[in-house]
Amino acid sequence: MTDTASTSPPVDAAGESKPGASRLWSWRPSGKSPVVVALLALLLGLAVGAVVIIVTTPAILDAWRSIFHSWGGILHALKVTFDNVGAAYRAIFTGAIVDPQALWHSITTGQGWDNTLTPISETLTYATPLLIASIGVGIAFQTGIFNIGANGQAVLGGIAGGVIGSMLHMPMVFHLPLTMIAGVVGGMVAGAVPGVLKAYTGAHEVITTIMFNYVIYSFLLFVVLSTPFQQPGQQNDVGRMMDSTAQLPPIFGVGSGLRVNYGIFVAAAVVLFAWWFLDRSSMGFDFRVTGANPSAARASGINAKRVIVFVFLISGGLSGLAGMVQVASTTHFIDGTFLIGNAGIGFTAITVALLGRNRPMGIVWSALLFAALGVGGRSMQAATGIPLDLATVIQSVIVLFVATPVLVKEIFRLRDTSASTLELATKGWNS
Amino acid sequence: MRLELRGITKRFGTFTANDQISITVEPGQIHSLLGENGAGKSTLMNVLFGLLTPDEGEILIDGEATKFADSGQAVRRGIGMVHQHFMLVPVFSVAENVVLGFEPTKSLNRVDYKRANEEIRRVSKEFNLEVDPDAIVENLPVGLQQRVEILKALSHDAELLILDEPTAVLTPQEIDALMAIMRSLADAGKSILFITHKLKEVKAVADVITVIRQGKVVGTAQPTDSEAELATMMVGRNVELTVEKSEFTPGEDVFQIRDLVVRDDRGLIAVNKVSLDVRSGEIVALAGVQGNGQTELVEAIVGMRTVESGTITLNGRDVTNESPRKALDNGIGHIPEDRQRDGLVMSMSVADNMVLNTPRRAPFARRGTRNLSAVKENAEQLVQAFDVRTTSVLATADSLSGGNQQKVIVARELSRPLQFLVASQPTRGLDVGSIEYVHRQIVNHRNEGNGALVVSSELDEVLALGDRIAVMFEGRISGIVDPTTSREDIGLLMTGSGAADQ
Amino acid sequence: MSVADVTAVDEVVSNTPTGRTKAIGVIMAVIGVFTIWIFAFGSAASAHSQITFNPINLGTDAPWLVGTLTVASRWTNLVLGFLMVALGVEVFVRRPRRGVMARFGVVAILFFFALLVWIARSPGPAPVPYVNLTALLINASAVTMVLIFGSLSGVMCERSGVVNIAIEGQFIGGAFLGSMIASTTHGFLSFYYAAIVGAVVGGLIGLLLAFLAVRYRSDQIIVGVVLVTMLAGLASYFTSQVFTPFPQFNTGNLAPNVAIPLLDKIPVLGPVLFNETAFFYLAIILVGVVSFALFKTRYGLHVRAVGEHPRAASTVGISVERVRYINVVLGGAIAGIGGVALMATSGQFQPGYTNGYGYIALAAMIFGRWRPSGAVVASIIFGLSVPLAQLLGQYNVPVSIYILNMFPYLITIFVVAGLIGRVRAPAADGIPYKRE
Repeated sequence: MTDTASTSPPVDAAGESKPGASRLWSWRPSGKSPVVVALLALLLGLAVGAVVIIVTTPAILDAWRSIFHSWGGILHALKVTFDNVGAAYRAIFTGAIVDPQALWHSITTGQGWDNTLTPISETLTYATPLLIASIGVGIAFQTGIFNIGANGQAVLGGIAGGVIGSMLHMPMVFHLPLTMIAGVVGGMVAGAVPGVLKAYTGAHEVITTIMFNYVIYSFLLFVVLSTPFQQPGQQNDVGRMMDSTAQLPPIFGVGSGLRVNYGIFVAAAVVLFAWWFLDRSSMGFDFRVTGANPSAARASGINAKRVIVFVFLISGGLSGLAGMVQVASTTHFIDGTFLIGNAGIGFTAITVALLGRNRPMGIVWSALLFAALGVGGRSMQAATGIPLDLATVIQSVIVLFVATPVLVKEIFRLRDTSASTLELATKGWNS
Repeated sequence: MRLELRGITKRFGTFTANDQISITVEPGQIHSLLGENGAGKSTLMNVLFGLLTPDEGEILIDGEATKFADSGQAVRRGIGMVHQHFMLVPVFSVAENVVLGFEPTKSLNRVDYKRANEEIRRVSKEFNLEVDPDAIVENLPVGLQQRVEILKALSHDAELLILDEPTAVLTPQEIDALMAIMRSLADAGKSILFITHKLKEVKAVADVITVIRQGKVVGTAQPTDSEAELATMMVGRNVELTVEKSEFTPGEDVFQIRDLVVRDDRGLIAVNKVSLDVRSGEIVALAGVQGNGQTELVEAIVGMRTVESGTITLNGRDVTNESPRKALDNGIGHIPEDRQRDGLVMSMSVADNMVLNTPRRAPFARRGTRNLSAVKENAEQLVQAFDVRTTSVLATADSLSGGNQQKVIVARELSRPLQFLVASQPTRGLDVGSIEYVHRQIVNHRNEGNGALVVSSELDEVLALGDRIAVMFEGRISGIVDPTTSREDIGLLMTGSGAADQ
Repeated sequence: MSVADVTAVDEVVSNTPTGRTKAIGVIMAVIGVFTIWIFAFGSAASAHSQITFNPINLGTDAPWLVGTLTVASRWTNLVLGFLMVALGVEVFVRRPRRGVMARFGVVAILFFFALLVWIARSPGPAPVPYVNLTALLINASAVTMVLIFGSLSGVMCERSGVVNIAIEGQFIGGAFLGSMIASTTHGFLSFYYAAIVGAVVGGLIGLLLAFLAVRYRSDQIIVGVVLVTMLAGLASYFTSQVFTPFPQFNTGNLAPNVAIPLLDKIPVLGPVLFNETAFFYLAIILVGVVSFALFKTRYGLHVRAVGEHPRAASTVGISVERVRYINVVLGGAIAGIGGVALMATSGQFQPGYTNGYGYIALAAMIFGRWRPSGAVVASIIFGLSVPLAQLLGQYNVPVSIYILNMFPYLITIFVVAGLIGRVRAPAADGIPYKRE
């Protein structure tokens, strides 16, 4: 395939040179770079988010309704719009990264660092389990498996971790690793069911994983309400508190108020593992071949059943670990609403993996981005009253655009319209 | 109708598939378009049939310049096409396929199958193409399916019939039958454009021959010209029509199949008690029209399909129903029928594809970790040795031409120690240069004292390569003969020894 | 000229059975044994069960009451259990080539009755000494109806070759906007308007899916999943912004039942089938319309051709893109109405209350082999499982209610695992179409 070099004169789709105006803008970003596409998708996502805000903020709507009442009407309406949308997005930024004023204060007075660093700490705290789960989902996607059950696997991992963490008692050097293993095993069990079903009966994993999610949610309620795991003295769906020996403590100590915790190291280890696994390991090679061309994989001796089961074990195990990390580092107990709903870690992990194009480094960046949106969304809700769900909406829109890079390129008129769609074996139910 | 193509040019990026092509087809004439694979014949036909728009040139029908926005228009104008890969919906009946797009309707937009069936029977009778309108297409044998394709075109009142490589899937007898049909259609006033790369057929039926090479018309020829002359025009140089083989000194049996029974995807018997031996230093060519069980047989040998009963023996060891992994480890080499589907991972590098079968074998990996530099080195050596044209071993497989892709597969298989080679349609879709190359490689393999089974539906290839020729028909071996056997006799075996005409 | 060396020719070997048939036979027998062990011997020897058929919302003096069916619990379940085991053994031993699933269906129905007999046994832990079958069926019909809309949507889309995972999202959209319209308009046309709005919303979502899938050839499953996430987020967002501050937009009106005179007097099934909301009747009508359109009309032939072999369709002048756009939008509209129907029978809109029904509808479509008639059967099965689980909870079955809630989802998994390997989706389903 011929490659259009970045320095050749602008050409249109038919390969003909366009004179005149386009020379003014002769540097146009190459549409081939996935980073460019991702950034533009982010822009589009924020734009759509802005539209949603505009449509639901009465103050803005009123302002636009009265644009004809006075000469300054339109300007006023624009000001109101920008103020509101700006406030929302500003809140996201200051809530997720840093508040420039607080930063200045800390730099000049040397104090208040705890306050200033809280947003980033929150983002990292949120990103840690999200990253782990997304890596798991990304590995599955690279093998051509849609693990939509990541959320359920995380829940089961969290349950397992919560049980081991609160009902067994031993020194931390044993307890914490054991709890982590429990989380992994919980996720593996949750993943094994759809995995084995797919390997041995051909059941399509999209339906089985989604259905199994619901099964696990019911199981969560069961565990938290009907077993010895229910927190003593509670009538509601609250589970036991984990021992401190099973928790992942904050790096800067409890007193600092910064929640960023040792889970980060776990996440870093997972990323390293994923890189090694996909790039260097033989099993990872098998996975990638299976994802790219299942027929050739079979013909070259790869055991499809083994691959399917192992993918679900690894992906499920990682999601389970993510669930355990989530519990062990933040709330320290699980309840009936743990990870519930379409905004649960497992579903965000799917969008993160897609945005990161299923590769470890890309997933790191997109996990940070989506964590920032999530954390910032909380602040935005506190500051402006706009519900947190907007963050979910923005995330989804971003991913929709990333899954359709050709559309992004058309919107921004980027060069190079080669269809670099996500490299997944595009198929329906017949796999 | 009188069809004239004037100066048709079509480019894909920097690649010119058709370059100023001009052809005229008169009514009542069988005009053959001769060219090897990759010469640009399919592109030209797609242009004519409205599936592609030419960059330059015009199409004149009965003197009038015409443009087609889509193939529906082409059909309505009287151009009918019998595609190489049938454009039939397998789960539909013959009737549904024939009337698709031109359905007679009654009230409430319902399809009037009564009228449809009548129409089909009428056209069937007129051109002597009997077929049951209610039969489901996927249950029909391939020869009949092609008949449905032809019927479809005729029922749209086609005046010009384009037949794109129609004989790839037919036995010699069915080919004769098709030629007779073509002749009678031409005599009835239709214009026929017959695209092929097969010299014998062209000489048998064409009135006029236009030869295409690398997108250009290189000249016209007569059916009375010799095969060698035609081949030279087609390829541009003197062509070796046979391949050098050293003396035939076979050794012990290296590979044996006894009473093998294998089922196809629908649960029907595809291989029905087949027995076959291959000795070392011998090439056994398995001839037969595609669809008679060869695909299932090969899949069973390489472990991709379950053997229901019977045995496969390699060097005395029973290897029946072993997994593909085991088959590969046992030293069975496989050049698959569909290289893009079963042989290569198109999105991965040439280097990775070179070790696709043996990624865990030292030095490519150790204890579960891959050794990427060893993989790269290996690929570089092989690319040199087997003359694979690629910009780098790290380039992805889909950047290679068909011929080079096949070379990667050949290199991969022949570079490891093999007990036995199975090559299935190894030169399908390749240009003559690549065909010669692959044949040479296989013969070298055999000259070195190894055994090979070559499955091919191309009679020329079978006769050139086979030290012994087995013919497969309807899941059974209908005969094993030596390469001096006449084409007619082999053709008879391909149809089950004089079975009644289908 | 060597002599042809012909090997011996044999007759065609007969078809041997697949392992799957035997496995199904074993499962059937196991269910039978379970029935005998738990249901038959779990009932006291003297226990009796009553099954009644009174629709609760009609008077008790109606002349069509069929009365109560009273059976001896243990004996009935013994007989039912043995029948199941017998069928299972028959399947295992005789391994019939056809009708295996039909036999399994019989076992399922027998199990259903055995279950009812067991939970209604008296003396036993049940709060009342009978089970009201008709009431159960009426409750099931609400879920079944929604699943029918969903699976019809799936059929419309997938028959043309596009996978629509976003049905769940279309339910959400339809339910949300339907609730707004139903709460703000009055009179007997209010649900009619709601349905129209729901159809439009569903259609728009379908249009977006079609746009991304057909024009840009995105992976349809990914787009579908992401769309659902986005729509769920939007619904949650708008609930907080609109429904919470203005509850008058979400009053939770229920659609009224429309009784068909005479027919609704038929014993047992009458009240179930003929005293339903207009949405129910619409669902049934749509089944007929979609079946007719797909299998008898010219339009349907084109749709199916596009779904099986789009290139062949394109060579005869059918526009693959146009057919897919139309079908996906229509399918989306149907799902949108399904969302409104859900709201109209459950009440207020709440985030999350579509409960995965959109995905169960897809399983129903697969179970029904992409035919509306088959999808209806599957919808009935799944539809029954939901109120059945609730019923079991009410009747103090010794299993936690939370485990019982898993029921419908486990059944879906079981069905999909048992069948998917043997069914053929439309050949081009899910594969983006590329010109040239």
